Amino acid sequence: MTPLFEARDLCKNYGGIKALSLPSFFMGKGELVVLAGRNGSGKSTLLRLLAFLEKPSSGTLRYYGNATEPRKEITLLLQDAYLLKETVMHNVTLGLRLRGEKHGLLQRFTDAMQAVGFSDPMAMADRPQYKLSGGEKQRVALAARIILKPSVLLLDEPTAHVDADSEKTILSSIAHILASGTSVVCATHDAGLFSSFSARTVWLKTAP
Amino acid sequence: MGYFSDGFQNAVGLLLHMDDATTSAISATLTSTGCALLIALTLGLPVGFLLGYTQFPGKRFCRLISDTLLAFPTVLIGLIVYVFITHRGPLGQYGLLFTIPGMVIGQAILALPIVISWTAQAVENLDSRCRETLLTLGASPVQVALLCIKEIRYDLGMVCVTAFGRVVTEVGVAMMLGGNIRYSTRTMTTAISLETSKGEFAQGIALGLVLLLIAFVINLLMAWFRRKGRLA
Repeated sequence: MTPLFEARDLCKNYGGIKALSLPSFFMGKGELVVLAGRNGSGKSTLLRLLAFLEKPSSGTLRYYGNATEPRKEITLLLQDAYLLKETVMHNVTLGLRLRGEKHGLLQRFTDAMQAVGFSDPMAMADRPQYKLSGGEKQRVALAARIILKPSVLLLDEPTAHVDADSEKTILSSIAHILASGTSVVCATHDAGLFSSFSARTVWLKTAP
Repeated sequence: MGYFSDGFQNAVGLLLHMDDATTSAISATLTSTGCALLIALTLGLPVGFLLGYTQFPGKRFCRLISDTLLAFPTVLIGLIVYVFITHRGPLGQYGLLFTIPGMVIGQAILALPIVISWTAQAVENLDSRCRETLLTLGASPVQVALLCIKEIRYDLGMVCVTAFGRVVTEVGVAMMLGGNIRYSTRTMTTAISLETSKGEFAQGIALGLVLLLIAFVINLLMAWFRRKGRLA
């Protein structure tokens, strides 16, 4: 399998507290890796390291994609997704506009919104973010990542604050993303969530 | 209370006819306040943003200083600026004392800590997920900073309105640096003070009504910014 991430003796400390201790980690291209473990085991920390939001305190983390500008290829959906104080359309197309892409925004917006289960995307386009429910916010935030067609999608408990219907929609969106060739890493408390997927589960232990 | 109701009636008459003295006081107030606010915002918004956005050694000390200056007595500001712009002072050659520009300097100094501290506070209050979200969407550091400013736009609106409210209602700086010269540097607050001391309540009440109207508009704007910021 073509490698995507490879880590050795990865360690992250915040102050004197060890948040993550991972002897080795490997991920191949196109894989779905589920990060499972208890609270405080370092799932979110590992995702932040993989997203290049932070640097490890020690150890090595290697990314086999565009290592000079990894954030152009990797995107992370936070557990409690944040949307800007703007409309749905603005939020979903923001990443594209930040990259200077201005053409075909409407079509890509429609495709991304449909991929996360909005049957009538244009009805949602002008809705301000504060009028969305928790589940809708999470799906809009996911659409904002899908529209970028990332090489790697990192998801931090994407179904933690949503109802059963939204959970179903998000899982089906993840299946759709995987089918398009995107590699996915998903942190979750519920390792059984991805039982119907061909996923590899990495169990994280609380750092000693 | 008869003189109060008489004064109120006369005030309404003055406002309706807008005599020269009243118009001049309103004009001087709005000119000096507007210019002072412009200077304070130009200097204070970038400094406040950097203070709240970046991490550097001594940041907490800088915040402490700017927060302390929020309680800077207006008379003390007037005194310090007076020392600088008086004819014998280091800036005496520019003839700023008892002029609108002289008042503007003092009022800008009064507004500056409000703009800096409140802007820094607004940036610090911004949800930390905002910056992370933007980074994960591929934003450059400059784009992140600009979008963070956009995210706190309603808070910045509050900063402007608060600073304006503070400056438009102050007396100390305008009195000491403007000299309360009729048809020149007499502002609404210094005119109210003078007319009251002379027992001429009509013009004082007329100007007081205008100030109340301004305060009402300021509060309306603040409520609007607060509502927009909360909903958005």
